[in-house]
Parts: sequence; structure tokens; C-alpha cells
Amino acid sequence: MLQEKYNVKKQNKILQNFKKFSKHPLFGIFIGAFLMVMLQVLGKTGLVQPSVVDSLANIWIFMIVGLGFTLLLGYAGLASLGTAGFIGIGSYVIAFFLGKLGLPFFLVFLFGILIALVVGTIVGFISLRIEGMYLAIITLGLSEILVEFFKFATKITNGLEGFQLERFEILGHLMLEHEIYYIIVFILILTMIGVVNLVSSPTGRAMLSIKNSTSAAQAMGISILKYRLMTFVLSTVLAVVGGMLYMMYMRSTEPGIWNIGLSLNILVAIVIGGAKSIWGVGLGTFFIFAFDDIVLKNIPFFIKYGNATYIINGVLIILVVMFYPGGIVKLFNDIIRYIKTTAKNIKTSWKEHKYGKDD
Amino acid sequence: MAKMIKHQLKKLLERQLSNISYKLKVTVSYVPIIENRLNERKNRKLENYQFEMNKQLYEAELATFGNHQYVEEMTKEKVDLLKEKTYWRKRAVLTSFKREYKSVDNQNAHQKELDDLLTKVDHIEKEQLTKLNGKYASRNMPEGQIEINLKLFRELYIDLQLKYNADEIQLTHELETKLEYIKKKAENKKQRLNASYERKSLKLKSLLDEIKDSSIAEGVVMSDDSILKLDNLTMLFGGLRAVDKLSFEVKEGEIFGLIGPNGAGKTTVFNCITQFYKSNSGQIIYRNKVNDVVNLGQYKVHDVIKQGIVRTFQNVELIWELSILDNLLIASHTLYKTGFFEHLVHTMKFRREEEILKARAINILTNLGLLVYKDFYPIGLPYGTLKLVELARTLMTNPRLIILDEPAAGLNDQETKKLAETIRKIQKEYNSTIFLVEHDMGLVMELCDTICAISFGKMLAIGTAQEIQANPIVQEAYLGGE
Repeated sequence: MLQEKYNVKKQNKILQNFKKFSKHPLFGIFIGAFLMVMLQVLGKTGLVQPSVVDSLANIWIFMIVGLGFTLLLGYAGLASLGTAGFIGIGSYVIAFFLGKLGLPFFLVFLFGILIALVVGTIVGFISLRIEGMYLAIITLGLSEILVEFFKFATKITNGLEGFQLERFEILGHLMLEHEIYYIIVFILILTMIGVVNLVSSPTGRAMLSIKNSTSAAQAMGISILKYRLMTFVLSTVLAVVGGMLYMMYMRSTEPGIWNIGLSLNILVAIVIGGAKSIWGVGLGTFFIFAFDDIVLKNIPFFIKYGNATYIINGVLIILVVMFYPGGIVKLFNDIIRYIKTTAKNIKTSWKEHKYGKDD
Repeated sequence: MAKMIKHQLKKLLERQLSNISYKLKVTVSYVPIIENRLNERKNRKLENYQFEMNKQLYEAELATFGNHQYVEEMTKEKVDLLKEKTYWRKRAVLTSFKREYKSVDNQNAHQKELDDLLTKVDHIEKEQLTKLNGKYASRNMPEGQIEINLKLFRELYIDLQLKYNADEIQLTHELETKLEYIKKKAENKKQRLNASYERKSLKLKSLLDEIKDSSIAEGVVMSDDSILKLDNLTMLFGGLRAVDKLSFEVKEGEIFGLIGPNGAGKTTVFNCITQFYKSNSGQIIYRNKVNDVVNLGQYKVHDVIKQGIVRTFQNVELIWELSILDNLLIASHTLYKTGFFEHLVHTMKFRREEEILKARAINILTNLGLLVYKDFYPIGLPYGTLKLVELARTLMTNPRLIILDEPAAGLNDQETKKLAETIRKIQKEYNSTIFLVEHDMGLVMELCDTICAISFGKMLAIGTAQEIQANPIVQEAYLGGE
């Protein structure tokens, strides 16, 4: 009575602010970063197996590459099959300049990015004239050329043997494995934030508009040349950065790794994860690059028949492409919705059981 | 050599001028946004004050109550809750009873059992009620205390009310001084920018006098009140003459209609103007935003919008993966001055720009009555709405010439009527010239000030609606000869 007159009921402002913040995209990214670091710490204590931590690092590295690839495929609508070659470039840059010549780390890193810029621009110019499947074929050819280069330029790349990387120093500090893991997580978080920002900016919108309708984009003042080139360069840079991190963590490279299979795996990871979502990229890379290492290898059947994991992957791809063309992310959304509705239904039916039906 | 330096200087000056005008726009359009934000903050503060005041008043009024009233006030909510609980308890008892003894006879036989159970529930309620009443019953006020309390309450009420008013006045005063300061600053900046703009434009003018610029069309005269002129435009597709020596002028501020039978080359004309096709011969002369007469042929497709020409498409060409608001923001792509790295980090400058342009987009959407669809995706919206959205999209850059390619195609009568209204509205409120191709003759005759009829790329007639209707050549082209 009096309370209503003065309207003095308490409102929980902290909860409201938290709800507001939890819808911000950065919130999810920070939670993700926390989890990534925590998993590594748990691996140190022994709760998580060290091999699992290694495959986690593998996921994060290919997630960086995949984020670049989403910009290309999900936003600019360009399909490329040359990703593996670009990752290979990154690994060889680290192997040659850091491992063999012993140059300072930051210089090597910058040099890698510079090479990526040059290669990305060249491929980007090729992409201006060609679209769709033909672009995929051309980039595949480029990737094969790179692989042949890795094989036969023995003075630089050490030929078929490849490189083994010794432990190296950054600013006079001998890097341990978990420190490199933290570097990977740090760069991954940076790229995630960058991609999220970019997608909600005029640049991201311009990419999407080129994918949807080139003529509308041109009429609205968007230069197709500029944005296609930009996305190609961006994705190449991210691929090369991923390659450098791969070499730093796994410490070995050879031409056989960077074949078309890897490019296809990355493409498939993006497609089944969800081409327009950063979490979709994470899920896709998890299913393609680490599902058998983390999950299937604990099941006795798959220990006996190791090759069956490929069958599982194939079936997964078919199922996802058939029933969830938008990616597994949408499946997760559906599952959450399903849980919510079933909880509601159970509640109402329990009420009916106890109190009887309403008249 | 000297000529080259002068050309470079000219380019530099032009860039500086555009930067200055951009800064001017930002300073002017950011003031109302800040005003809004400050007002919101003030209102939030006032709400907080009100809440605090109400809390004090509530406690004071509670103190004036007598014992009985006090108990009632404090326990009211809890009593209500209790009553609801007992209702549900009774219902649960009843349903379980009915489940146990299904037939009516059986129920009647065990009526006593039910009654026992129900009284038990009632008993529980009574117990809890007495407990509740006992909790607040200890307050006893001496006689005469109530009057004293009431007096105190009134004083407090007046005090608080006065304080609240004083706070409000102080807040508004603070707001006004802040606003004044901001406006003054903006005004100063505006004057400074204006002065430098004038200085630089004078410089540019003298420079332009020295060098004859290639961007300004030579040899073709355009009358002062016209905005677009086609001069012997010819477009060939292999051996086919899609447009054949077409020339006409579009006057500033009018609605100009281009009509013709199927395959007459209307859309080709549009594509030539917006540089999707490069014409084989002939010139397209246009008066751009800064009143320079330019030859459109030298611009690339994506530079045409910067000169103030925006077009729509025959089939709706919206971006299906973006919301309606983002679709409008796509059109303002050329207005962004921030680059890739600023987009990557979302700098302050970029966020300010985005805010201003979003405000403008929302303004346009409200003006055309489309604000409801702000966050919708284009998929699933009615076709007429999509056409209107495409029209709204053209307005983002304040264009001088809007080119509409069959705006009424695929619309029903009602939607066409609405479209005609909207086109009129745009012409009046946004001071744009409108140039349209249309098959719906009713719409064209009703809407257009001047109509040009073409057939097989050649001009048949040009004039007002009545003149075109009465023209025998046009009649023959549409209805066939004898």
C-alpha cells in the first residue's frame, strides 16, 4: 500500500549491469581466454594430460588461420585452397631465420608478416579476375608450387628432411613450452578481438556487400579491388602468423605437412563450424584437428582401429552439411533452446500433476 | 614540370578542403548527440534523487502510523503471499484426494477425511498469521505521539521537496552551462574551419585559373538550371546499337521520367550514367555537389557516388546478410574517413562517426516510416517495404541526383501509391533531382514533370505528360503502326 505509493522496491542493479555486459562480444572472448589459460594450468598439475594440452595448442593455432579464412569465405565470399602453402611459408620463415641464422625473434616475426603482405597482394591481384571454383583451383596450384619450392630449394628449406627447431630465445630469455602456449593464446585473443571489431565496422560490411551483390556494392561506392585485396592480404597474414606459431610450438616442419589435405581440412573446419562466427571457427577446428586426439583416443575401439577416426570425421561432415548448413554453432543454439523449452514443459506438467488443471 | 607540381598542389588542396568540410560536418552533427547523452544522464540522476527521497518519506510516514495500521502495512505483502500459498496447498490436497478416490460415491464416503485435511491447512495458515502479527506487535506508541509525528512528517516532506527542487535546478543549470560551453567550442571550431575553408578555396580557385583542368568538361555547354546532360550518347553491344545518339537535359529539382517499350535501352542509359558500362561515344555531363561541371565518363563506378549520384536497381539489391539499419550504413560507406586500422581497434574517432551516421540513418527511417524494421533482416519482408528501404538507402549521402530503375516493378496498387508519395516527399525534403525509368504509365504520368520517350535507343519525344500522350510517334511505338 505505502510501498506502492512511494515505489521503493529494490532493484538489483549489479545483476542488470552484468546481464548487459554478458551480451557484449568481448565478454565471451575473455571467458574463452580464461578457459584457454586454465586448461594449460590444469595440464601442469596433471589433471589434464600433456598430450591434450598439445592438441589444444594445435586448435588455437589453426583457429588463428581459420579466423583469417572466415573473413575470406564467410564475409568476402572467396574460396581459397592455398592456405596450407601460406602456413608453410610461416613455418619456414621461423625455421630458417630464427633457427638457422639466429636472428632476433621480433625481427623474424616482422619479416614473416612482410612476406605475407607481399604474397597476399600477389594472390589478391589474381583473385580480382577469377571467382568461385576457378579461384580455388588457382590458389591450389600456387600452394603446390610453394610445396615444390619447399622440397627442392634445398639450400633454404633443407629439402625433404625439413627442419627441427632448437629452443630459442626472446629478448635473452630461453622460451619454455608453456610460455609459447601463452603467446599463442595472446595472439589468438588479439585476432579474435580484431575480427569481431572488423566485422562490425564499415570494412566488414563492405566485404559482406561484395559477397552479396557486387553491383550494389559498386553503386554504394565500395571498391571491389580494394576490399578483395584487403581480405586476401589479411587472411594470408593470419595464415603465416599461424605457421610461425606452429613452428614455435611443434618445432618441426617438412614439405609433406603442407599439402592440399591441410587446406581442405581448414576449409571443412570453417564450413562445418559456421563460416560467420568466431566460435564456429573454434568448434570446427576442434572437430577436425583435435576431436580424435582428445575424445576418440580414450575410447578402446578407436585405439584398436585408429583409422576409424577418419570415418567419424567424414560422417560428421556429411551430417553437418546436410542438416546444419549454417554450421555446428547453430546446432548449439538449437540445443540451448531445446533445453529451455523442455525445462518449461516439465515444470508445467509437474504443476498440473500436483495442483490439477486450470479450469 | 611546373604544371605537374601545380596539379599535385591542386590535389592536395582538394583533399584538405574535403577534410575540412568533413570536420565541419562532424562538429555540427555531434552537438545534438552529446546533448541527448547529457540529458539522459541528468534524468538518471534525478531518478536516483527521487528514489532516495521516496525512501525517506516512506520511513517517515511509517513512523506516523498507529499500532494497528503499522502491523497491517508491514505484514500486508506477507499475508498476501500466505493466502496464495494456502490456496495452492488446498488445491494440491483436493487433487490428490480426487486421484485417490476417483468415483463420486467414493469421494462422498470419504468426505470427512478431506475436511480434516483442509482444516489442517487452515490451521497452519492461522498459526503463521499469528506469528507474523506477533513480530510487529511490540510497537506501542504513547498518546499524542502520532500528532507530533505527523507534524514532523509534514516538515520533512516540505524540506525534501524543496531540496529536490533545488537539486533539479542545480542539475539543469549545470547541464546548461556544460551545453553552452560545448556549443561555444563547436561554434569556435566551426568559425575557424570556415575561415580556413574559404582561404583554401580561394587558393584553389586561383590555381584553377592558372591551369586548365581536364576534369571540367570542355566544349559542351550546359544551361545553368540543368543538372545532367547526355550528349550524343551511343552504346554498342557488338553490332547492336542499344543507345543511339541520345541527348537530353535533366533540369535541377524536377522528376524526370524515361519511358519506352521493352528493350528500348532505358536501363542501358542508366548503366552508362552510373558508369557500369563505359559508353562508346558521346558525353555525359553532370553538375556535381560543389557545382563543378564534370564529365562522368572519367570516373570509376565506385567514385560516381562521391559526385552525388545514387541509383537503385530493377530487382532489389539489398545485402541479405545485414539488417536494414546496416544496409543504410552501407550506403554511407564513402562518408567514413577512418581507415582499416581504426576499424580494427574501434577508435574513439570511428565510434563517433558511426554514432553520427547511425543517427542519420534512423532519422531517414523514421521519416519514411520504416523505423519498425530497423533490426530486421531483408529476408521475409514484403517487396514494397524492400523497395522503400532501397529508396531510403539512396538518401544516406544527401545525393543531388537519384536514379530509380523501375521503382514500381512488382508492387501492388496500394504500394505504388505509397511509393509515389515517398518519391514526392524525397524530392521536396531532400532537395534532390529524381530521374526514373518506369513501366507503370499511371505512375509516370502522375509523377513526372518531364518525360522522355525512347525506342530502340533513339529519342522519340520529350515533354510534359500531356505532350507525350498526344504525340503520334510515341503512340505508334507503343501500340504499333497501322
